Amino acid sequence: MLRRHFMALASVASLALGAGAATAQDAPAPLDNPGDVTIALVRYLSTGDFFQAYLSGVESQAAALGVNLRVLDSRQDAALQADMVDQAIALGVDGIIIQHGLTESMREAAQRAVDAGIKVVAFDVNVENDAIPQIEQSDYLLGKLALEQAIADNGDNFAAGYVYVPGIAPLDRRHVAWEEVKKANPGITEAARIGTLDNPIANANANQARAALQANPNISVFFAPYNEFAKGVKIAADELGIGGDLSIYSADISTADIALMREAGSGWKATVATNPAVVGEVSVRALALMLAGEKPGASVIVPPTLITQTFLNDNDIRNMEDLGSKMPQFQHADVAMADWMPLPAR
Amino acid sequence: MNDKILNFSIRYGFLILLFGLIVYFSIAAPGFFGPLSAAFVLQSVAITGILALGVTCTLVVGGFDLSIGAVATSALMLSAYSMVILEHPAIVAVTLCLGMGALVGFINGLLIVKFRVPDLLATLGMMFLLIGLQRIPTQGNSIATGMTLTDGTVAEGTFSAAFLWLGRHRFDVVIDRLLPMPVVIFVAIAVLIWLFLGFTRHGRLMYAIGSNARAASLVGTPVNRYKVVAYMISGVTASIGGILLAARLGRGDIASGNNLLLDSVAAALIGFAVLGAARPNAFGTAMGALFVGILLQGMTMMNAPYYTQDFVKGAVLVGALVFTFYLSSRRTGTRH
Repeated sequence: MLRRHFMALASVASLALGAGAATAQDAPAPLDNPGDVTIALVRYLSTGDFFQAYLSGVESQAAALGVNLRVLDSRQDAALQADMVDQAIALGVDGIIIQHGLTESMREAAQRAVDAGIKVVAFDVNVENDAIPQIEQSDYLLGKLALEQAIADNGDNFAAGYVYVPGIAPLDRRHVAWEEVKKANPGITEAARIGTLDNPIANANANQARAALQANPNISVFFAPYNEFAKGVKIAADELGIGGDLSIYSADISTADIALMREAGSGWKATVATNPAVVGEVSVRALALMLAGEKPGASVIVPPTLITQTFLNDNDIRNMEDLGSKMPQFQHADVAMADWMPLPAR
Repeated sequence: MNDKILNFSIRYGFLILLFGLIVYFSIAAPGFFGPLSAAFVLQSVAITGILALGVTCTLVVGGFDLSIGAVATSALMLSAYSMVILEHPAIVAVTLCLGMGALVGFINGLLIVKFRVPDLLATLGMMFLLIGLQRIPTQGNSIATGMTLTDGTVAEGTFSAAFLWLGRHRFDVVIDRLLPMPVVIFVAIAVLIWLFLGFTRHGRLMYAIGSNARAASLVGTPVNRYKVVAYMISGVTASIGGILLAARLGRGDIASGNNLLLDSVAAALIGFAVLGAARPNAFGTAMGALFVGILLQGMTMMNAPYYTQDFVKGAVLVGALVFTFYLSSRRTGTRH
């Protein structure tokens, strides 16, 4: 009975929505005929949960729009990534999403795409082009929220390990937060700094972290502002048998990370994340807005959320779906939206 | 009659396959056929092709050079270091890199001919050494304009326009800004090495050393000297590849160039099969590089994911090797 009432209510609501958005169904050209529209995702980084989730977001939003998606994956080869933009131009795609990469190698390739009349958005790479909106998670905020939690948990007097690879835009922005926190809290010292992006990233960083932890047994907090880094530090801490004594603060999250954070005795205390799938969806929506002739703005920022080990345990969250349902702000970001924009089914 | 067919297929089979591939992709992948697409294929194979030509020279003398990828990335880092941190002009950076390549080749050669280290092991050791060495000056950081140095100062140097021109300039051929500079350099080096190996006395002696070093030395060939020279050529071409990579990237990026070694060795080995040569040769190497480039471009355009591309690349290599060694042995068998 209750169920039927609910169903009726739901259908009324959807009718009302449908009536209110009567024009919403009619996407503007060229998206009124999405089968003829092709977009390309040109990737620099692809191994790791974050990038898989990002790809799934891109795929689901592209499917919701009905456009064709081409995925070009350069696997951390900067020159190849630039070639792939050229390939996409030769393919005659309508839009390109550049996902990560190096400013120096992508700037000209991106310009060539713009010159060819292709709409381009860039995620987490600054290609220094006014015609190309930047999709960003606020990386500075990611770092800042994680460090605020670290201070809330550990006080402002501890020796920290830090994972950093300079020259990667999001890591550089998170690094700003770390430098600020160190300056504001003289009691926080950086006892060791490690970091590598060699594949597999977690494993390569685990080796470095193990050496750093052995050399500096006074380290009680590790700031690893990228989940593959945090995974590496956790592996090292567990191998050394100090998993319970070390607190790890990171950025980004995935289903595998949730399991690691919730393991008994896990040192991974908190992470700050924007849902990578949502970032993927936003990237495609921003590109769709541009294809339709609208302007998403020079930068499209997807706001981050703090996720603590305690929250995960208290709510018995097992995967990204659970997290989305318990934390609605994690499931959908209300950016790069339009009345006509179809959203992926949930 | 059968022998004729066999000989024909050994000689032209690979080129026919290459042609068939182009026709197939032109029909199956819209946008594949055209000057723009051709320029991208050439651009994507230019740097690995240059390295492959160097490795061909070491294969000719019966050696092998595993350090080429590391030499290329070292040249990439060295040119960036020289320009961004030491603020050298482009000509100095390029000279340093070429000198470094020659020196590494010379040391490789010495290890092999003087210290009797097997070629694979000597160059493998050199590879690890260089991978570490290239990161020591910057503590493992990539080198970019305006980077903060360890002493807190900011690097003032930049990649000069002349240097970037080497990697980024595009000549107007058919369409404006079509043919990239690295492709021109690739073709020039291919022609040079083809002429050197095939049409000079030195080249012929190098082949003689490769097929029977002892016999060559008995007739008075300075075997060791030629071997060292072969590794030096390999080192220099690899450093040219690194210079072009640096000029394309505009940054001393530590993550780039990981695949250079495998791709260029594959191109050189596939080259054995071209024209039924059954031995390393510059024309074959260039065709081998082109073959891999066309295959990858076509597959990318048909939306094949990267792992299937790796798979196909491997299958082509194995196929080419079987083609070379099995069919050629049968051909020589029928001669006797």
